[in-house]
Amino acid sequence: MIFFTNPPYSFLLTDYNSSMETYFLKHQDILTFYSRIDEEFQLYVPIKVEAKPRLLCEHGLLLPSEDYLLAPFSRIQEKSDIAYNEYRCVEPTRTLFVYPKENVSGDTPDPKKQGPSKPLAISGVKNCDLFSLKVQDFVFLGGDEVDPFYQARRESALIIAGDCPAFKEACFCRAFAIDPYSQEGFDFNLSALNDGYLLDVATEKAHGIADSLKNILSLATRGQLAGRAQKREALVKKLDAHLVLHKIPGKGSLKDIVVSGYNSTVWQEQMRTCVECGGCVFICDTCHCFLLADTLSKEGPQRLRIWDGCLYKNFTRVAGGANPLKMRYMRLRNRYLKKFDFFIDTMGTQACCGCGRCIEVCPGKIDIRYILKRLYEEKHLSAH
Amino acid sequence: MKKNIYQPIEAVIEDVRQETASIKTFALRPKSLFSFCTGQFIELNIPGVGEAPFTPSSDPGVKDRLEVTIMNVGNMTSRLHAMHSGETVALRGPYGKGYPLESFKGKDILIVGGGVGLAPLRSLLFSLFGEIDHYNKIVLRYGARTSADMVYKDLLPEWAKKKKVDVMTTVDIGDPQWKGNVGLVTTILKDLPVELHRAVAVVCGPPIMMKFVNLKLLDLGFTHENIYLSMEKNMSCGLGKCGHCRLGRYYVCKDGPVFTYEQLKDLHDIWD
Repeated sequence: MIFFTNPPYSFLLTDYNSSMETYFLKHQDILTFYSRIDEEFQLYVPIKVEAKPRLLCEHGLLLPSEDYLLAPFSRIQEKSDIAYNEYRCVEPTRTLFVYPKENVSGDTPDPKKQGPSKPLAISGVKNCDLFSLKVQDFVFLGGDEVDPFYQARRESALIIAGDCPAFKEACFCRAFAIDPYSQEGFDFNLSALNDGYLLDVATEKAHGIADSLKNILSLATRGQLAGRAQKREALVKKLDAHLVLHKIPGKGSLKDIVVSGYNSTVWQEQMRTCVECGGCVFICDTCHCFLLADTLSKEGPQRLRIWDGCLYKNFTRVAGGANPLKMRYMRLRNRYLKKFDFFIDTMGTQACCGCGRCIEVCPGKIDIRYILKRLYEEKHLSAH
Repeated sequence: MKKNIYQPIEAVIEDVRQETASIKTFALRPKSLFSFCTGQFIELNIPGVGEAPFTPSSDPGVKDRLEVTIMNVGNMTSRLHAMHSGETVALRGPYGKGYPLESFKGKDILIVGGGVGLAPLRSLLFSLFGEIDHYNKIVLRYGARTSADMVYKDLLPEWAKKKKVDVMTTVDIGDPQWKGNVGLVTTILKDLPVELHRAVAVVCGPPIMMKFVNLKLLDLGFTHENIYLSMEKNMSCGLGKCGHCRLGRYYVCKDGPVFTYEQLKDLHDIWD
């Protein structure tokens, strides 16, 4: 699925698939693979946290509820903590590309301020995360001006994607036709098999690394590839069966229902439990809003690029005091209009990847799946 | 070397003029090359303090200096109002799309300003005056709350004397010294010396003023395409990235700040 035809993204899409090769990597060799990457990159890998009991969802499915976090490979003492994450990690991938708070002063991006001198590599990136990265690319690399801090990190980064062998209760990527496995947008892709991994090598950068690891890689057999295809298909089936229960409207109707739901009561109703914590916007992997703030530090004046969120009261307030989004329900509605109207108009796709992070983080139990379902029903199934 | 799009260039305050009790015009000399088109805005920065968007009020034809007319309403502007000639600020830009002068050519141009909203229009007027032969007529209608709240008091009579230029002013609340019209700016939008078929209207002022002026103009028969509105939002980056100034499918910072009513008419709550 290629979303972009415009130039800014071309560098990201150049050599994908053209020379994709798939290898088999034994379980015990994954650390060798990671160590090799860590030589050249600052590698982040998923670790499992808090293995809670499996969760019985409201529709009776027994689903996993463990979480995964990204941690710097070099700083993990017990390498056995490194996990193959079965679904997306807790933190949004964008955190590693657009820091929540970053000094953007100076005539030109200062590599010393960029954190680690080695370029970034991230393992455990799921297809929902890759979808979100495209939204971030659209914002920070698109338009007339490019964010040089984002660009420096993004262009040099190595993305190690991975199939999802399971999904969480909150996952709903397939509602928007996003598959729980990736076929493009990565350098490497890992698919867990019973006795190891299939490793897709997609880019020149990745081929360079794979060439130096020939001793632990063997070309994937037809049987292994068929096995992966089967696993992928089975997971999609299971996920779809779960999503049917949630009745989430499809991608094609999103713009329509959000626009025509402008005066729906769902906004006010759902915002009753909102405590304006901003969790949903900061955990969101497609949200991108920020504020340029000026502060004085010991070294002198500083410009900071700080994440901002449209659920906050002062997001649209102007100096005179006027605020177009003064009520909380207006801000919730604004968020949906931005994601499902504005982005579909300007980028051609919704700014939501179905990762469900906002559902899990919300202390008010505000559920995007429910709101979309309500909007759909109000538009298409109302009595009149 | 990649350009840091967030980094402003330094500018020295050369002159500060008091326009009203709460409005000052700052003349700035940027330390490096800077130019703008009329109607485009800049981000004016006080290093270490803050940044806010303003539309220059000066003639874009003057290349080494620009003026910004600013009302003291918030943190950044109150700090700015406390600054003097010789002090250094910084600026970024210019951003957005300005007034489409090319499509104004040969037209009767009605310019309606409210309060400090005359600032960007002053820049527009200078641009129009600079090539007055290209335009048929310029009609300025300006309203302020009281006569003390009027900006450019010295310039208004000068402009009125110009060939092809017709100026009328009004105040919402009269006073013994004020000899002109009393009433909202819509009260001086009657019997306009413009030919509708070749007229465009440019409006800038507080949202509530723009809302009613827009209604009045539609009433008078101006087409949606011929009404140009300056939208006010809290632009932070100016580059269409930070998300603050979204208005429907637009970002005011890059698709505006000047829009035709045609572009905005189907959007919700544009005057809020």
